[in-house]
Amino acid sequence: MRGNRGRMAVALLAVVSGATVISALLDLQFDIEHQLTQQFRLLGANVVISRPRLTQTPTLDSPQPPSEILDAPALMDQPLVLRQVEKLPMADVAAAAPFFYIVAHAANTPVVVAGTWLDQIPGLEPTWRIDGRWVTARDDEADCLIGRRVARQFALVPGSSLDVQYLDRRAQVRVAGVIDAGGTEDSQIFVSLPIAQKLAGQSGGAQIELVQISVRGTSATIDRYTAQLAAALPGYEVRPIQAVSRAEGNLLDRTRLLIALMVALILVLTALCVLATMAALAMERRKDVGLMKALGGSISRIVSLFLAEVGSLGAAGGLIGSVLGVALARWMGQRVFGALIHPRWDIFPLTIALMVGVALAGALPLRLLGKVKPAVILRGE
Amino acid sequence: MAPLVEIENLRKEFGNVRALDGVSFEVQAGEWIAIMGPSGSGKTTLINILGGLDTPTSGRAVVDGTDLARLDEAGLTRFRAEKIGFVFQQFYLVPYLTALENVMLAQYFHSTTDEREARGELERVGLGDRLHHLPGELSGGEQQRVAVARALINQPKLILADEPTGNLDEANEQTVLELLRELHKEGHTILIVTHAPEIGLLVDRRVELAHGRLARSPTAFR
Repeated sequence: MRGNRGRMAVALLAVVSGATVISALLDLQFDIEHQLTQQFRLLGANVVISRPRLTQTPTLDSPQPPSEILDAPALMDQPLVLRQVEKLPMADVAAAAPFFYIVAHAANTPVVVAGTWLDQIPGLEPTWRIDGRWVTARDDEADCLIGRRVARQFALVPGSSLDVQYLDRRAQVRVAGVIDAGGTEDSQIFVSLPIAQKLAGQSGGAQIELVQISVRGTSATIDRYTAQLAAALPGYEVRPIQAVSRAEGNLLDRTRLLIALMVALILVLTALCVLATMAALAMERRKDVGLMKALGGSISRIVSLFLAEVGSLGAAGGLIGSVLGVALARWMGQRVFGALIHPRWDIFPLTIALMVGVALAGALPLRLLGKVKPAVILRGE
Repeated sequence: MAPLVEIENLRKEFGNVRALDGVSFEVQAGEWIAIMGPSGSGKTTLINILGGLDTPTSGRAVVDGTDLARLDEAGLTRFRAEKIGFVFQQFYLVPYLTALENVMLAQYFHSTTDEREARGELERVGLGDRLHHLPGELSGGEQQRVAVARALINQPKLILADEPTGNLDEANEQTVLELLRELHKEGHTILIVTHAPEIGLLVDRRVELAHGRLARSPTAFR
C-alpha cells in the first residue's frame, strides 16, 4: 500500500464508492419488504371471510336482494366467526370488522346500508378521507358515516339527521362524517352493525355477511393467517385480497430484481476501475517485480504479495463503504419511503466479501507480471 | 575438491551479437574473483548466466553441482533463491519497503521470514540504527549495505556483485569493499564485476574479458 499511493487511493475510492452504494442497496433490499408491507397495509383490508357464494358487496346496480336474509347460506354466524378471528395474535391484526349489508331506503330512494364496527373503519380503510369525524365508539348506534355521493344526493352534511327505512322498520341516525373513498363506498351509508341487523329484522343469534381483516406482515404472513382461519372455519371462504397480495408480490419481485441488477452493475464498474488501476500499477511495478524475480521470488509468491495488497484494499474499502452505506440507506429510506431504514449488520461482512472479491477480480492484470524478465529489467530496458 | 563454479565453452548470443564466445574457467569455493574488462565485453552477461537470470546459448555453466542449462524457469527461480546472493550497482531496493523489510523480502522468497535474523544481518553491515528507514532516507553506501545484507540473508553459495561500488563515493566505496573483504575472510565465494583496477588488486584472481572472450587466462594474485 505504501507504493503508488495515488493510484491505490483512486482504487480505494472506487471500492469505497461501490461498497457504499451496494451496502445501501442491500440494506434497502432487506428492509424493503418490511417497508413495502407497511405501505401496502395503507391499502386496507387484506383478508376477507365470507360464505363461498358471496363474492362482492351489493351495489345499487346489482343489489343483493332482501332474499339474502332468507338465504341462510349467504350469512355467517357472527359469534362463531368473530371468536375465531379473536384467536389470531391480535398484535398482527391492524383492524377487523364484520359487515352486514342491506338495500334500504332513505327519502324513498334505495341506498346500500352497511352495518359494521364503525370504530374499525379508519384502520381498515386508511386511504379514505373524511369530512367531519370518525365514529370512535363501537356501541355508538346514534352516529353514521355516509359516502360523498349519498351526502350530495340527500344534501347531507356532518351533523345532519338521516332516516333509513327497510321494509317496515326504521332507524334514525346522525351523520358524523362524509367519507371520500373513491369507489362504490361513496354511495353507501355505514351504520353501527346492530342497527343494520335490527333493520333487517334479525333477532337472536346475529348474522353477518363478511368480515374484513387488515393483517400486518408480508404476503407470507397473510397467507399463514388465511390458512389458519380457513382451517378454523370449515365451510367458510377465507381468502386474501388477491389484487393487493399480487401487486405486493410483483412490486417486491421487481424491486428485488432492480436492486440485484444495480448491485451487479456497480460490482462490474468497481471491478473495471480496480482493473484499470491494477493494470497501471502492474506496469509501474515491473522494475520491482523484476528485482523480486532476481531475488528468487516465484511468480506465485510475488503475485500473492500484490493480491494481499489488493485484498486489503477491498476489505478496507468494503468496511468504510459499509459504514457510509448505512447513512446512505437511511437517507434513501427517508426519501423513498419516508421511513427509517434499519441497517442489518450482516450486510457488513457480505459487502466486505463482495468488495474483496471484486478487488481480486480487478487484479487480473497482475497476470502480466509473469512475463517480466528480470535480466531485461535489471539491464534497464 | 570439485570447483564451486565450472564454466565450459560458454556462449551467449543476442540476435547477431555474440556477448560471450567460448568462455571457460573455474572458481573454487571461498575464492574472491574479479571479472574485469571494458564495457560490452560480456561481464554482466556472464554474471547473469551464473546467477540464473539468463541462459547460455551453448556451453555449460555449473554452480554447486547444478547445470544451469538443465533448469527451467521455475528451477532457475529456486536456484537464485537458494544459492545466489546478488549485489547490484543500482542497489535495486524496493523503494516503499524499509531496510528491514527489504532484507525480509529475500527471506520470504527463500522460505519464511525471520525478523530477528534480518535485524542481525543489518546490524552486521552496520545498519542496526537504520532498520526502519526507507531506501530514500539512506545514503548510497547505506543502501548498498542493505543490498549486501539482503544478499547474505539466505546464506548463498555464491555472491555475485555487479559493479557494487560503481555508484558510490570514495568513502562509501571503501566501506562496501571492507564489507566484501570480511565476507571473503569468512569463507564466502564472491564474483565481483568491476572496472576499478584497485579492486582487482584486492581479489584472489582476475578474469579479464574482451569482446566476449577471455583476454587471458585467469590471473592469480595471491
